[in-house]
Formats: sequence, C-alpha cells, structure tokens
Amino acid sequence: MSRMKALAGLALLLLTPPAIGQAGQEAVGISGTLTEGTAEKVFPTERPYSPYAGRNFPTRPFFGDTHLHTAVSFDAGFFGARLTPRDAYRFARGEEIVATGGEPARLSRPLDFLVVADHSDNMGVFPDLLAGKPEILADPKARAWYDMIQSGRGAEAAVQIIVAFGEGTVPDVLKYGPETRAYKSTWQDTIKAAEEYNDPARFTAFIGYEWTSNTGGNNLHRNVIFRDGGAKASQVVPYTTAQPLGSDDPRDLWDWMRAYENKTGGNVLAIAHNGNLSNGIMFPLIESFTGKPVDRAYAERRARWEPLYEVTQQKGDGETHPLLSPNDEFADYETWDDGNLDATVAKKPEMLEFEYARSALRNGLVLAARLGTNPYKFGMIGSSDSHTGLAAMEEENYFGKTSAMEPSPERLTEPFFANEKTGITVMDWQASASGYAAVWATENTREALWDAMQRKETYATTGSRMMVRFFGGFDFDAADADNRNPGATGYSKGVPMGGDLGPAPAGKAPTFLVAALKDPLGANLDRYQIVKGWVDGRGRTQEKAYDVAWGGNRAPGPDGKVPSVGSTVDVENATWTNTIGAPELIAVWQDPDFDPELRAFYYGRVIEIPTPRWTAYDAKRYGVEPLEGTQMTITERAYTSPIWYTPPAR
Amino acid sequence: MKRFLKEPLVHFTVLALTIFAAYGLVDRRAGPAPDRIVVTAPKIEQLAAIFARIRQRPPRAEELKGLIDDYVKEEIYVREALVLGLDEDDAVIRRRLRLKMEFLDDAVVDALAPTESELDTYLRTHAADFQVDSMLAFQHVFLSPERHGEKVAQQAASVLELLLTDPAIDTASLGDATLLPGELPLSSKTAIAQTFGDDFAEAVDTAMPGRWTGPIESSFGVHLVRVSERRPGYVPALAEVRDAVAREWVNARRREIDEARFKALLDRYQVSIEGFTQPSASP
Repeated sequence: MSRMKALAGLALLLLTPPAIGQAGQEAVGISGTLTEGTAEKVFPTERPYSPYAGRNFPTRPFFGDTHLHTAVSFDAGFFGARLTPRDAYRFARGEEIVATGGEPARLSRPLDFLVVADHSDNMGVFPDLLAGKPEILADPKARAWYDMIQSGRGAEAAVQIIVAFGEGTVPDVLKYGPETRAYKSTWQDTIKAAEEYNDPARFTAFIGYEWTSNTGGNNLHRNVIFRDGGAKASQVVPYTTAQPLGSDDPRDLWDWMRAYENKTGGNVLAIAHNGNLSNGIMFPLIESFTGKPVDRAYAERRARWEPLYEVTQQKGDGETHPLLSPNDEFADYETWDDGNLDATVAKKPEMLEFEYARSALRNGLVLAARLGTNPYKFGMIGSSDSHTGLAAMEEENYFGKTSAMEPSPERLTEPFFANEKTGITVMDWQASASGYAAVWATENTREALWDAMQRKETYATTGSRMMVRFFGGFDFDAADADNRNPGATGYSKGVPMGGDLGPAPAGKAPTFLVAALKDPLGANLDRYQIVKGWVDGRGRTQEKAYDVAWGGNRAPGPDGKVPSVGSTVDVENATWTNTIGAPELIAVWQDPDFDPELRAFYYGRVIEIPTPRWTAYDAKRYGVEPLEGTQMTITERAYTSPIWYTPPAR
Repeated sequence: MKRFLKEPLVHFTVLALTIFAAYGLVDRRAGPAPDRIVVTAPKIEQLAAIFARIRQRPPRAEELKGLIDDYVKEEIYVREALVLGLDEDDAVIRRRLRLKMEFLDDAVVDALAPTESELDTYLRTHAADFQVDSMLAFQHVFLSPERHGEKVAQQAASVLELLLTDPAIDTASLGDATLLPGELPLSSKTAIAQTFGDDFAEAVDTAMPGRWTGPIESSFGVHLVRVSERRPGYVPALAEVRDAVAREWVNARRREIDEARFKALLDRYQVSIEGFTQPSASP
C-alpha cells in the first residue's frame, strides 16, 4: 500500500494535467471602478417600497469547487480512483455515493457548483455500429448486434462483440485500423456528464479541464473553465502540454483560449494554482521561458485570461509565507515549502517571492507602474484539487487527496511521497482539507457564476462556508456597520471585492465595510483582518495586516494587534465549543496610513477560532497515535479578492 | 530494508537493469528483416485533424512533418516497449485499459431510449429522489446570546409578546442586528438550511404560517419567526422532472449493463484464489 502510494505520489507529480483560460469580455454586473454615475445607475436614489424590487446584487455566496479530478484523469486512475464525472456531480449536489475505497460518502450539505477538471484523450468505441451505417447493417452479424442494442439488450450485445473480437470472428465491416477507427473522446463524455447534471438555479455543472504545465517538476498548472455549454465546448478539445501538439508555456495556452473564443463566440477563463510548488516561476518578474523581464504583452494577456488565482488547496496554502510576511502571526498556515511538485528540486528562500499570492499582488503594483497593466491583478478562490472524484473538504468528513488517501487508519502515518535524492518526504498528514470557492453571483447558473468569477467577486475558503462581505469606497461611516443589510449599503456606497476604488476625493482616505457570518455548521469567528499592500515612495513594496473586527472582549495591544482568541479544542476527543469568538463580525474601517500618491491593494482575511484538524478526527475515530509533529488543530479562514487603488495619472 | 524497498529510486534502478538485460538478449543484427512502418494517407489526415482540433487551425507543412516524425518515433517506442513487456504490470496502462472497457458501455448506453411508461415507473419507485422541497417565505427577529447572555430566553419571550399583541409593529425596531437576512422571499427549505442551518429550516417548515412563533434556535442565536407563506413539498409529475428522471434512469441502466456485462465475462473465466483465508469475525 505505501509502496503504491509512494509511486503514485511521484506519478501525480509527473502527470498532473494542465489547464488555463479566460475570457476578456466586459464584466457583467456591478463591479469595476466606482463612479457616481455607475452607482446611481445601479441604485436609483428613489427606492421602491419593496426591498426586493429592483435588487440585482448578489444576496448570498455560492459555494463550489473549480478543481476536481475523477478516474478520467490518468494520474487519478493510477491512484486507484474509480469514480466518474457523473459520480462527482452527484456527490457534489448532495447525494450519497460509495467512494473508491468502499466507504459510503456524503457531504454535510450540497455544494452549489462543481467543475470537473480532468484531462482527456481519445478512447475508441463502436459509434458507427450504433449509428446504423448502411454498410454495417448489410452484415447479418453486425445487424443482429445492432438490433439487440436497439431492443435494450445492449449489455448482451457488448459481451458478444467483445467475445467476437477475442475469437477473431468479428465482421470485417467492424474492424477499424488505427487510421480509420472512429473515436469518441472522454472529453465528449465529460461534457455530456456536465450537461446532464447542470440544473440552473439549483446546481451548476461547469465544463472545464486542467492544463498541466509541469516542466522540470515546476508547477504552472491552470484550470480552464467554460462559461458555455456543450454546443460550444465540444467544438474544441482541451489544450495539452505535450509537444508537438501542445506547449508548457502559458502564452500558448492563452493563444488557445483566444482561438476558442474567436471560433465559437464563447468565453473561457483560467485559474492557476500551487505557486508554492513552482519553485519561483508562478508569478515571475523574469519569465522562465524567455529569461527576459515580463513585458507588456505578457502582462496584458495574463490579466485578461487569468482573473483569479486558486490561493488555497490540499497541496498547501498559497496566501503568503512566514518568511515573506514575518510580522504576520497567521502567515504560517498549512505551508508546503519543501520543493517543487515532484520534490526533485528543494526550495530556496529566494523563490518564495514569486510563488505566493500576497507577494504577487505586491509585485503586480510595481509592474503596473512599469508596464501600464498589472499582470497579477487577480481575485481569490480556493478549491480542492482532489483526485478522488469527491469534493469532500470538511475536516470531519475529509476524503483525501487521492484514492489511496481515502479514510483509513494508515493515513495518519504514511508518506504521501518521498524523494531520496533531495531527501524530501511529504506525509499524508500534511495534506490540507482545503478548500472551496465562494462566488457572489446573482443566481446559480453557469453564466452568472462565471461572470462573477470574471469580475473577481469571489473569495477563497479553506473548507468552511462562512459568508464574507468586503466593500471599499470613500464614504462609509461607522453607522453603516449598524445596518442590517451590508449588501445594499455596500453596493450603493462602494465597490465589492475584486473592484477598483476610484480617484480619492481631496483629503479622504479609503473606507471599507466588512462583514462576516460564520458557517451555520461551523466555528465562531476570531477576527476579520484587512491586508494592505502598497508601493512606498521609494518604489519598494510593503504590506501590513490590520485587525478590524473581532469577537469577544479583547482590546488591541500597543502594537495595534488584538490578542489571541485562545482555544477550546479538545484534541483527544476532537471537539470544540463556540464559547469564544463571535458568530458574526461587522465593522467600518478607514485606512489610517493612506497616501493618495501611492498604489495599493486591500483584501479581507477572516479567521475562525481554532477547531480540530482532520488529523484529530482520524486519531479519535481510528484510535491511532499520530506521528510526532502532526498538526492537530486548524484555524479555518477566508481570503477575499482585493480592492485596488490607483493614483491618478499625472 | 523495508524502507529501502519502498524507495522509488530503487524501483527505477531495478527497472532500468531489467531493460538493459532484456536489450542484451535481443540480437538486432541477427534478426529478421526490419519491421515496417507505413504512415498512410488516412493516418496523416488523422494527425492533421487532431492538431486542428487542439490548435484550432490546420498544421503548417513543417508542423505536419514534425507530427509525422513524432508519430514514427512513438510507434517505434511502443512496439519495442511491447516486445520488452513494459506494458505488463504497469498500473497506469492496466487502469487505462479497464477504463476503456467500461467506456465501451457508453456506446450501448447512448442508444438507450426510455419509454414514457418506463420513466413513469422509475419516478414512482424513486419518488424520494425527485421530491420537490417545500418553499417558505418568512420574517424573523434575531436575539444574540452574546448580547443578552442568560437572559436571552426571557428577552425572546417578551419580544414575542410584543409581536403577538401588535402585529403592525416595525420588526426592524426589535431584536439585535444581524447579517442574516431579516426577511426571506419564497425560498426552498434546502436554501434556507444553507444559510440558517438544518435544524432551523426544519423548525420553520413545521411552524404555523401567519403568526409569530418561537423561540427557534440556530447556531447563530435565537429567532422569533413568522412564516408568511408555505408551499408544501410534493412529488412532481413526470412532465416537470422528465430530464432528471431520464438521466437517473439511464444511470441506473448504465450500472445494470456494466454488472451484466461483467458477469457474462466472468462466466468465461475460472478464477482460483490461492492462499487467501477469509478474515475471521473481529472480536
């Protein structure tokens, strides 16, 4: 078992598939730069009596996973995954299914959407026979099979056909050479599964795939997500990385995306992930493919095609790293920093700056000044990258990274993979039960969700389903935090997450309306922080995390930081109580250090009180002693898309 | 030693030695006439077509030459690999082949066309799977345990009395501010549970419509609730859920077909399992 897993781990590294995409259409809805004109258009000052009439802003976030593999992904198959895209959709919409390992599996509650992001290739079937082509029907044996299938005795016919092939008695008309064999691709079947389970307003099944650029084991993977249905998506096949058909350079993927949009009139976007396993090339200043500084064309195209970044998932959290954010006591969270994806090259500290979301957002400000476009102006989502067909990322209901890691007494103590040469060993317990994508869409449809992703009105969670609001503007005041409907206030006086602050009125600093509501099944909230990044007067980037709302009676210390919330976790019994923290947080905060001449971004980070990690539930349920050093508690969190401030051109 | 045997490097070394040994056993010079590889016109057409599907444009001449050369290289490697038996005991290849066998079902499944009566029967025998949620619209007044501590129950009772005695009272003036929506338009019970939790949704679903009731607890605090409208759940008619029923009918048939086919194939084999003892019932 563990040998299999070690090999499988290696294979995962070698075989992980690719993805990318995005569409550069005008964002739909209420985002973009706030101006008085747009605000008035969306929110006429004369309000109708009914609070719901004319309301077109999102009232609840939709939760889902944009990155799930099934048996169709051959690396997932190698790990033993048996579940298909149809199983994955059924599980995500709340049905109970049986996992590959035989355990019945069910989510605590349905997800709202899912993207099955497998890679694909061609698989032969007998489509001509089913199409009843005349030359086939002229053969009596083929005709008999055709009739059997038509009369519902398909299984019987299939067996007879298999046997005939084995005995060499198959009619000539059904023999295809490799050149002429009719193919039906798994891609077509994956599209069909999404079409079957897409149920507008109840459950959205997106079409997507992963493009797995992994040269030298350095992870540049992207998931490509289609706004469109099968009619458009089936006109193309996914882009690959293998030469000569594909390429491992994101620029070529962007070409593919543009070609798709031009050909079909459809829309795609791409979401990169695991910069932490890219060994310094996910968010470059110097492009690894050319050795030259990132140029204007790269910046414009990356900004156009990649509006989001997957900031948290099972192979480590990607918000920031303790060495990059030494003053941030919450920075060391589910950190995977041993090396690249296949652990063939160990990590060096100088790589980190080009791997994590926060440092990329900072460098993006510098590039924006230099190139006129910020290539790293991305929003945040989380997703699972599970290879089990199960988007099961709840700590007490965690089905693992691969099918070899589905619940078992062994997974607390086994290695996920090891590389002798570099001496890197990653244990199963290090896998993080994370995360989900939260999308502020007006309704649960492919179009509305995709449009919200495109305008970056999204946030990442590490598996919790907390509701998080984040609005920026220049006119929020303390009374807005007493309002019972931060959505209405937020949209009418500011821009939501993913937007841009307009020009600063003279003498005014940005204000933010922040609100968070705990997961109805989850833990209380410790604090809501705003992370600010900016370029100082000398052109160097800076960052600071501010505590802006917190639960309980705590006063900030002299350093401005709110003391620890404490912990109620009983690790041995894997329990906790909601007796600390608060179920909801709301506040208005004004930047005390604002300089209208300096570029800046702001994003929200909401942190739950400590709860048992999946390892604690496993230790309790299986009665297994965890290895020394195993992380047993966790502070689940959410990261919102940033809001940016750009000084007026002079 | 056990750990040593687990190392992938060891596996690769052993594999490499095996390959070299195998190569050594095959004397190329003394062999028969060289194998032929014919790249036919239809094959070239297929290579070009696959390229066009991925790149969304036809290949240029030099690109097509590259594709053909790559195909020849792949063909040679695949043939040699098969001679060396490299396909044997390869988990990736075996799983891929198994997946392809399962995929064969799809051809059959695609041809399925359920009749109305088959669908109707399926709907009746799986009614719970297609049950439509009850829909509820309600208002609520929220009381925060953080704010009221142990007096929250007492507070709830007095607010409830106010609500019952003065139906016209402005509910916004009562209770504590919350991010939970104060009033929900007609929503499914599932959607209500997504925001308020299962227990709360269950309690609201059984509340008498039209009057203030409570306290109902959620994981956020205590609520007083007035359901303004309730549409009970029901098992829909076939016309309303035809696509979903057809999808599930096909999925059920897919499983049956796979099982039937496997059983038929299994019947053609004699399987003997040696050295395996049924685990005894655990103490």
